[in-house]
Amino acid sequence: MTSMKILLAGEGGQGIQTIAKVISDSAAKAGYNVSYIPSFGVEQRGTPSVGFIILSREPIFYPRFDLTDYAVILSQRSAEAISIYVSPRTKVIFDSSTVDPKSFPRTFTHLFGTPATKYAIEKFHPRSFNVIITGKLSQILGLAEKDVWAMIEKTLGAKFKDEKVRKANEDAFIFGRNLVFETGKFSDASFVPSTEKIVVKGYNKKGEILPSRCKGCGICIEKCPVKALKYGDILGVFATPVPDVDLEKCIACGNCRRFCPDSAINIEKDIKQEG
Amino acid sequence: MNNTMPKSWNEATKPHLLCPGCGHGIALKHLGLAIDQLGIARKTTLGIDIGCSLLLWNFFNMDTIQTHHGRTTSVMVGYKLAKPNRIALAYMGDGGAYAIGLQYLLHAAYRNNPITAIVVNNENYAMTGGQMSPTTPTGMVTATSPHGKDAKFGEGLHGPELIKNIANEQAYIARASVNNPNNLQQVLQHAIETQQSGNFSFVEILSICPTNWRTNAKESFANVRKAEDIYPLGEVK
Repeated sequence: MTSMKILLAGEGGQGIQTIAKVISDSAAKAGYNVSYIPSFGVEQRGTPSVGFIILSREPIFYPRFDLTDYAVILSQRSAEAISIYVSPRTKVIFDSSTVDPKSFPRTFTHLFGTPATKYAIEKFHPRSFNVIITGKLSQILGLAEKDVWAMIEKTLGAKFKDEKVRKANEDAFIFGRNLVFETGKFSDASFVPSTEKIVVKGYNKKGEILPSRCKGCGICIEKCPVKALKYGDILGVFATPVPDVDLEKCIACGNCRRFCPDSAINIEKDIKQEG
Repeated sequence: MNNTMPKSWNEATKPHLLCPGCGHGIALKHLGLAIDQLGIARKTTLGIDIGCSLLLWNFFNMDTIQTHHGRTTSVMVGYKLAKPNRIALAYMGDGGAYAIGLQYLLHAAYRNNPITAIVVNNENYAMTGGQMSPTTPTGMVTATSPHGKDAKFGEGLHGPELIKNIANEQAYIARASVNNPNNLQQVLQHAIETQQSGNFSFVEILSICPTNWRTNAKESFANVRKAEDIYPLGEVK
């Protein structure tokens, strides 16, 4: 193929533009002509973020395109946002642990799923799912493993705070390279953000945590004076873990409620239980 | 049973559009609580500026006006002249209020217009990607000062201390921090009460910016504590 058009779509903050940059830079190093344009809203986090990439052996005259050869979809609502670029011939690659293929429009025919978020949480670092996707995508595009990893290290190097995180990401990348896609039968989209309110009760205290608002910033955990909060298993709106409260330790000081920028948590004394 | 959010917040638009861990969320929560406490949600109008504060267009159950580059102050001054019974809040970032639109703030203070200006100081231009701003302290690394801010660009603009010099005797000028939310709510409440008594009030809120500072929760609050040493908290006037 002389020219490949790739479209990456997901939530802002998922690493869409980072994947796009790594793929573009590695392809440019491998001798392709490359164009890459990012497209996202004014918010730095939380809106659909799209990257348009063209890799070509020929000169590229215009960086936008009408129909794409590959569409990589990493969040549910971004599928809708990019559906006009998808033709029946497009190969649609998606994260089957967070995106439900039943919700796709009819033009999405060639579906290739991989539960990257599930693998990342179970086997590697929770945030390394984008590295798994980068690995698989670079393998499909025929970019050399060594070069792409070098580019990831160059782009993300500062984020790898210690050797453990770096190793987890490298393992995730190699795992991604060797992934086999699910076709026809997909994993359940079980890693979707929880929308139900968590109600906690006991030890003369009651409280509520709203995963539909929690963005996983960790301020409540940092501000808790008795260390009663820690990250739990339920996922919040940005697919980040929601805090879990230990009511035995909790002194109902109200700091978490005071400091939470998203008003997602409140724990208070319950007079009823005492009386 | 429990109320996690202030009553004046618009529940339908939550989660809001700001980043995870954004200091705006904490500042706005206590602005909301102050408004609830005073019971003025129905007669308050919020003016917002360009920058991250523009993402608040549907944040509150209140009328909202958006303008650009610090002119929020002027717009709210005009609004207050036309509708003297309303409470006018001008909510801005430090980029809009100090760097681009300082003149509006200075003259509103000089004329003692009865509005409340709230400036959220996160020490950079956050929406455009964390560039160096006048309030960036010396040595801080930003997108446009990769080796740390040089002292020759200024050691950090002290807005409240500057405006104090020309403000009316009756004006209320203070600085609070998201690290001390109880105090923040009291300061905001007092600022609104000052406006109700017919005088200019101005509050600077030291805030956090985890996205552009590239910090986690712990480091963000360590940073804002450092900022509190440079920009002392409390009533300036």
